[in-house]
Amino acid sequence: MGLIQREIEKCGIATIGISIVREFTEKVRPPRTVFLRWPFGHPLGEPGNVRQQRAVVLESLRALYSITTPGEIIDLPFRWRRHDYQNNQEPGSFMP
Amino acid sequence: MTNRLKNRLIAKVITRFPNLAQRFITAYTPWESDEPVPWTRPARPLRECTLAVVTTAGVHHRGQAPFDMQDSDGDPSFRVIDGASIGSDYRITHDYYDHSDAEKDLNIILPLDRLRELQQQGVIGRLADRHYSFMGHIDGRHIRTLIAVTAKQVAERLCKDHVDLVLLTPA
Repeated sequence: MGLIQREIEKCGIATIGISIVREFTEKVRPPRTVFLRWPFGHPLGEPGNVRQQRAVVLESLRALYSITTPGEIIDLPFRWRRHDYQNNQEPGSFMP
Repeated sequence: MTNRLKNRLIAKVITRFPNLAQRFITAYTPWESDEPVPWTRPARPLRECTLAVVTTAGVHHRGQAPFDMQDSDGDPSFRVIDGASIGSDYRITHDYYDHSDAEKDLNIILPLDRLRELQQQGVIGRLADRHYSFMGHIDGRHIRTLIAVTAKQVAERLCKDHVDLVLLTPA
């Protein structure tokens, strides 16, 4: 996935990737990544868990603007279903 | 066919017991680049941007050709996803992960409902009409095809679609 991300970024579009295997992301070095130690097939979380999915989407979008070093990986603090997604920070400014 | 069943069984086991996945992660050597990391700054605030999703989770419309699961190097082609209809018209062709949960709720691999809500709330300027789907698990000779041909084609299409930002989701 990181290879595709690199080609899109080269074309002049800013990208953010979700990773669930940090080791691969470190080698492929896409421009921006948020990492979750979650099961395969579940990058946005569990089926029907709207709050969890929304939290991952918002943090990914936040990282598009907060990452300023090419190749940076942000480790998201979400602990799968043990996390309280109700208190996740809601939208901020998302400004360049 | 036996190989496909074996791959699906392994996928189910490592999804349920993530610690076992570590063996497969260690055994796989991803492509590494000497080139610098490409970099484009987001030019505008999110509320003025058009956003598209690119996934490698193997999702496609029912009427589209499924990804080729016979080639052990994977399938480097892509499918164009219509954002308005995919939620009620999708299949997942991918033997290397357990997609039974994604079949219950597409948003866990392609979060278009969540992004639509953010568009309605004015957080995102606009959600693109078209999104793009790959299969992932590309290896061997198809890595070159992916980098030199199909990833570039998707990048060009995204530019033509006037997309400003892309979210990429794996399986």
